[in-house]
Parts: sequence; C-alpha cells; structure tokens
Amino acid sequence: MGLIFLVFVFGNQEVGPVHKLLFETAGPVQKAMSRATGSIQSLKKEYLGLLSVREDKDHLWQELQECRAAAYKSREAVATNARLRKLLDFKESSGLPTVAAQVIGKDPSLWFRSVIIDRGSSDGVVKGMPVVTGDGIVGQIYSTSPNYAKVLLSIAPSSALDVLLQGSRVRGILKGTGENTYRLEYILKTVEISEGDHVVTAGYGGLFPTGLPVGVVSRVIKKRRGMFLEIEVTPAVDFETLEGLLVIEQERPSVE
Amino acid sequence: MLIFVFLITGLLLIVLQTTVFMFTPTWAAAPDFYYILVAYLAYRLDLLRGLVILLPLSCILDVFSGTILGMYPAICFIGYFLLKVISIKLPVRESLYQVPLVAVSYLFVCWLVYWSLDLMQPDILIPWSWPVMLLRAALIVLFSFPLFRFFEFLSRFLRGKFFSFKVRRPRSGNMFR
Repeated sequence: MGLIFLVFVFGNQEVGPVHKLLFETAGPVQKAMSRATGSIQSLKKEYLGLLSVREDKDHLWQELQECRAAAYKSREAVATNARLRKLLDFKESSGLPTVAAQVIGKDPSLWFRSVIIDRGSSDGVVKGMPVVTGDGIVGQIYSTSPNYAKVLLSIAPSSALDVLLQGSRVRGILKGTGENTYRLEYILKTVEISEGDHVVTAGYGGLFPTGLPVGVVSRVIKKRRGMFLEIEVTPAVDFETLEGLLVIEQERPSVE
Repeated sequence: MLIFVFLITGLLLIVLQTTVFMFTPTWAAAPDFYYILVAYLAYRLDLLRGLVILLPLSCILDVFSGTILGMYPAICFIGYFLLKVISIKLPVRESLYQVPLVAVSYLFVCWLVYWSLDLMQPDILIPWSWPVMLLRAALIVLFSFPLFRFFEFLSRFLRGKFFSFKVRRPRSGNMFR
C-alpha cells in the first residue's frame, strides 16, 4: 500500500494534490513563523536601536550642555565686549585721561549709596575725581587707599551735581534720591522744560568736564506755590548693572 | 586664637554681605551678618574679647560703607551692650527667645543711630523705610539660626570641647533660671 502511495505521489514527478494539500497546510504555519520571526527581529532591532538612542541621548545631552555653556560664555563675552567698547568709545571721544576700574564691592547700608573699586592712589586716583561709564556720570571718588577707592554714587542723597539742560542751557543742581532717579532743583517755573530733555554736566568749578551725559527729564511738576519746578530725572547710567568704570584724572580735583 | 578666628569669620561675613549678597548698589535684601555676630558675641563671649573683635570689624564696615565714619561702631557697640545687658538681666535665656530679640534690638539700634545722624547731618541719608528695615530684621532672624550654630561650632572647636563627650546635666523644666 505504501509502495503504491509513494508511486502515486512521486511517480510522475509533478506537484500533485497531496503536495498541494501539504503546501496549503504548511504555508500558513510558515507564514506565521516568518511573521513572528520578523517581529522578533524588528523587536530586537528596536531594542538595539533604543540602546543606541539612549547612548545618543546621553551624548547629545552632554553636547547640549556644552553648547549652552559655550553660548552663555559667548553672550557674556558679547556683553563684556559691548560694555568695554562703550568705555573705549567714551575714552577716545572725550580725550580725557582716564583710569579703568572694576566694581568689587557695594555699600551694604540702606542709607548710603557707594561702591568700592579696584583702583587707588597708587594708580593716580584722588579724592574728588569724577567716575563715569560709557553712558554717563556715575559719581565721584570719596576716599582712597593705595589700591582701592570708594565711589560716592551720584544717586546718593549726599551727592549734588552742577548740571545744564542741554537744550535750553538752563543751569540747576542735580541731587540724588537714593533710588534710581535724580531730583533737579533750582529751575525756575518760567523755564520751558519738557519730558525727554537731556541733562548734562555744567562743568563749573572744574570738577566734572562739561557736557557729560547725566540723564533725561522724566517728570516735571509745576506746583502753584514756590518759585521752582519739581523735576525728576532718570539717570543715563543703569546703576543696577555697574561693573566697569572709568575714573577721569582731573588735574585739580577740589571736593571737600 | 578665638579672637583671631572670629575676626577672620567676621571679615568673611562682611565681604560676603558686600559682594555676593549685594546684587546691585540699591539692593535692599542683603542680610546684615555683622549684627548676628554682634549678638553672638554679646550672648556668648566675655566683654573684653567681644570688644576686641568688634572694634576692627566695625571699622571695616565703616570703610566699606557710607560717608559717615563711626556709624557702624555706634551700631555695633550700642547693639552689643544692649544685648549684653538684656542677656544678663533677662531671666529667659533660651535661644528661641534670643533670636527675635536680636531682630528687635537691630531695629531699635538702627532707628536710634539713624535719627541721631539725621539730626546732626540732615539730608545726607536715604529716607527711613519701615518695610525695608523689617525685611532686614526678618533676614537677621532667618540667618541667625544657622550662623549661631556655626559660631557655636567654631567656639567649641577652638576651645577644644568639640570632641569631648561630657555628660550634660539633665535640664530641669525651669526655663526661668
């Protein structure tokens, strides 16, 4: 029987019904197995990919941190560059002999406004010398030691500057308020003054050079009583970000 | 040695206050570390050593700040003697009560010195502001606990008591000794 069956199946060397039946039966299994293998391989590939992604992520994270640090340094360098360029421009345009200084400490008291700089009498810094940034007046030297000096900021209430309104050339006294504003005093009510007018140093007495920017008029109050206007001036210098300063070397500082 | 170490510590605290904690020249929320040291010296050290430490530190503060010489020595010494007298006279000696006392004495001493200066040299000081002064007093309270612990650690270390394990007398419930 077996022999007959074998002859029936293989005798004519053609794919017969038995083969077709087997084909149809084994095909789906093969297909399923092939799919399963494909899935496993894909899973393996994904897992391996995931491992490499994790490595890549760590690598990219590190790279990102480095880039951020570099960007921060770059921004800092740009800001420093801009600040120094302003100082340099001021130095070149004013033609005044100056000493560059750095703020190293700030007044801890609530009742005064001063900063400590890293230049002193050995650098030619003397009491009374004006201190500026590229934007304008910062204050004046209040006391010195051989290597350090204290700068009384112009926003301190004890500071008073002789100033001019740049447009009208009217003279007044600029006093500090302790905050980031000045008070311009002794301007008569008859004077035409408006917000946005520029205030510059008058240069009387030879302490400050003439025409250094001090600030901009931000508020004018004309009261019914009194002879003078109440004027608020916004400083040209941002006192919140003081870092590099220039001390102008005057020949004969005369502040007591 | 104790005097020297406290001098250096005080100097470092002043430098910290004038650099790290002063973000801008008009920054108000900088803690007055020096006054916490004044309070510690008044509570814990004898008169002579306290004064020897305070004098140079208050002079350094005078150099770093303001335009009136002698203001900080006045604040430090008035605060020191006030707290010294209170610490001797007051029956309550728990540090829990001592710390708020430091802030209250700070406000009182500052107020006293401010009005004295304003009377002598009007218009050179920035106007008195209670909110800002209360903020400073609150910062003193905030920093008093860690700094007192640090000063205590320093003091015990320098006196060689840090590694000695003495059996402490159990405390009675009486707080008013």
